Amino acid sequence: MTDRSSNAGPWGTPPTAPTTPIAAKAPGWMKVEFVGSRWALFWLALKTGFLTVITLGIYRFWMKTRLRRWYWSAIRPGGHPMEYVGDPIEKLLGFFIAVVILTFYIGIVNLLLMFVSFSVFNSSWVGYLASFAGVIPLWFYARYRARRYVLGRTRWRGVRFGLEKGAWGYAWRALVHWAITICTLGVLWPRMTFWLEKYRTDRTFFGSARLTQAGHWTMLYRGAVPIGVSLALTVVLTVWIIWLAPVFPQTTFAELVSEGWDGLFDEDAELQALADPERLWLFVFCILGLMYGAVHYRWAAKRILANYKTAPGITFHSDVKPPRIAVIYVLGVFLSYLVLTVAILAVILIGAAMLGFDSFLAWFGLGGISAVGDWPRWVAVVLMGMLYLSAFLLWGVLYNTFVTFPIMRHMALTTRLPDYHGLDHISQRARDDFAEAEGFAEALDLGAAI
Amino acid sequence: MTDVLATRAMDATGASYFDGDVPQPREVTLALTQGQSLLEITLDDGQVVEWPLTEVRALPDISGRAQYVLRWTGDPLARLVSPNPFLLSALPQATRRAPPKGRGRLIKWAFAAVAAVALQIFVLVPLLADNMAKFIPVDGEKALGEATFGHIREALDDTGLSPIEVCTSEVGTTALNKLVAKLSGDRAFRQDVTIAVLDHEMVNAFALPGGYVVLFRGLIEAADGPDEVAAVVAHEIGHVNSRDPTRHALRSAGSIGVLGLLFGDFAGGAAVLFLTERLIAAQYSQAAETAADEFAHEALEDAGISPAALGRMFENLQGEHGDRSGVAAHFLTHPAMGDRIRAARAAVDPDAAYGPSMPDEDWAALQNICK
Repeated sequence: MTDRSSNAGPWGTPPTAPTTPIAAKAPGWMKVEFVGSRWALFWLALKTGFLTVITLGIYRFWMKTRLRRWYWSAIRPGGHPMEYVGDPIEKLLGFFIAVVILTFYIGIVNLLLMFVSFSVFNSSWVGYLASFAGVIPLWFYARYRARRYVLGRTRWRGVRFGLEKGAWGYAWRALVHWAITICTLGVLWPRMTFWLEKYRTDRTFFGSARLTQAGHWTMLYRGAVPIGVSLALTVVLTVWIIWLAPVFPQTTFAELVSEGWDGLFDEDAELQALADPERLWLFVFCILGLMYGAVHYRWAAKRILANYKTAPGITFHSDVKPPRIAVIYVLGVFLSYLVLTVAILAVILIGAAMLGFDSFLAWFGLGGISAVGDWPRWVAVVLMGMLYLSAFLLWGVLYNTFVTFPIMRHMALTTRLPDYHGLDHISQRARDDFAEAEGFAEALDLGAAI
Repeated sequence: MTDVLATRAMDATGASYFDGDVPQPREVTLALTQGQSLLEITLDDGQVVEWPLTEVRALPDISGRAQYVLRWTGDPLARLVSPNPFLLSALPQATRRAPPKGRGRLIKWAFAAVAAVALQIFVLVPLLADNMAKFIPVDGEKALGEATFGHIREALDDTGLSPIEVCTSEVGTTALNKLVAKLSGDRAFRQDVTIAVLDHEMVNAFALPGGYVVLFRGLIEAADGPDEVAAVVAHEIGHVNSRDPTRHALRSAGSIGVLGLLFGDFAGGAAVLFLTERLIAAQYSQAAETAADEFAHEALEDAGISPAALGRMFENLQGEHGDRSGVAAHFLTHPAMGDRIRAARAAVDPDAAYGPSMPDEDWAALQNICK
């Protein structure tokens, strides 16, 4: 425990091969191994993704189950694989149950909201806003239920994990924390992160052992330093460019707000009068800083929180490196886009070669609305749907391969259990049997990630 | 199987057994006994667990090839982790799936889900929408129409940059407004009819909530004369008058969320596209189409234009585009087209003297409205 601060600083040592220092530094700690190759995962994801397209999306419950089985079995604390025992059939059932319940809410309530919105406010956005706001509590509820389901279907060394009931308690707490966070302009965000994580962790079990989230919310501010610095720089830059040495000398800030950017560039004369407009490029760095800051906070908070999680006789130690995660995101998303673009281009070229270029353009150029051609209209619609689904799923496959996989691996390899003698006192817990699985999360599109 | 296995010998280095109660790996010795029908697992404390070989399964989708995990169908919790490849090859039914549980329940809920969605889309939403359409204030209806018009213009755009243009040539617009005034006569509609031409080659026209009648440039180009355009406009005013588009738009608003729910991650966008398409190729009920036709016959008759023009427009479109059903969807996909043409002819009063719907110079202006 005392060892923690020395190697867990947010900007600790530069990333090195993770396995060697662990072995050298902590021979007695339980390490987490990660087994399995990226290609094996890619083929599994591609295979199941293809089946999902063929079955018009029904197979996605199987796809998700199989991918989770794979990931879980790749993560091996102490050399023993985690096991995911979720059942695709129960996911499908849960989805049906959620559809039955949500369809009335979403259909009727949305229609009423739209009616009121148009009748009273003469516009749609009030209705959209209200219908969005109405889904937010459900969203938190569904997330907690989904986590409970996944933990309830996760085992290690034959012993189940579990999460106690408490989804509505989580939902209203999340709403209050969000309200506080928004009212304080984000200053109290770490407080929200901490208390919501504590709510979940304190209800998490491994077998008979309950986990506890210790620590204090203020410790998360360490992880917020990069985003704080980026925000401060952005504010300073904005003040400099608008008030101290304005880029638009003739325009006051009030005019800028009232006329907007369009008014600004109406006349050429004003364009010439810009003072050092190249300074505007500095905003690009600010935005990059903010993006990195957000990633850094998310993962630094995970790491700090993990280091303060305990169960009787068990402690955790995480060395997750936020810069490493940021690199994975950037490279992974870039690679995924690259492969996706190449694949889509290939499909377009093959399609054009087979159909003839003109009819191909006529077919797909109008987004399926006007099917010019001799083929029946539904063929075009089905083909369009298939293409859309394929692109969507290919993106999922690539994201799994280039982002989820390396992040999972990094997380596994940087997690250790300094103390685990408490395992000797743990025994099995009862099965958590609930009907709707993660149906709500699935129906509300929350369960897309692994 | 080899004789070596028959004599119980099995290398079990590295195999661990988890009893499903405590998270402690137990070192084990493995053996096949009883003519290789039983897997005998001897734990480190001498306790023996016996798994019938035909009931031992390997967990699927395990990452890495160095280890596999076995379970026995008779014990949902115990696991045997082994790196020994011979054991796996000795299992006759290692990959056999478990029989699906709760199939009846699944089917019941599947039906319930389909029924709920069907009830929603085909009964509740239309019922509610039809009633709401009666009560929505004029301004709200107008706003609904404007919003829908915006969506359609964006959806039809090929470039993805800007919504397709509305044609606004001054003389052309004047000619159209004169036509609407002539067709309206002294009827008092719930609201004014606003007419617009979209710069798009689709041969189509549609009505939107709030009194919007929208023609495509393609329709004006395909028409053989001003009377045919007048007939289409009269038909669309008929829809406006009976508030068909308002009902339709409200139904879409109710159905869109349900479809999004069903299609999940994949197709929020596809659902929207689908519904926009439905709005343009608005397939109103047979009764609504007939009512709009009857309105058109009457309005044309009152304005001194031959109602046969509606029939001629149908014939014209059928002749030119009959084999391309997608193009003039609104008019041509209707099964009772022949009946509608006959009805238009029957509405002609043989004794009446019909005139053209607009002077030649107005027709020329209308044809050039997008230039």
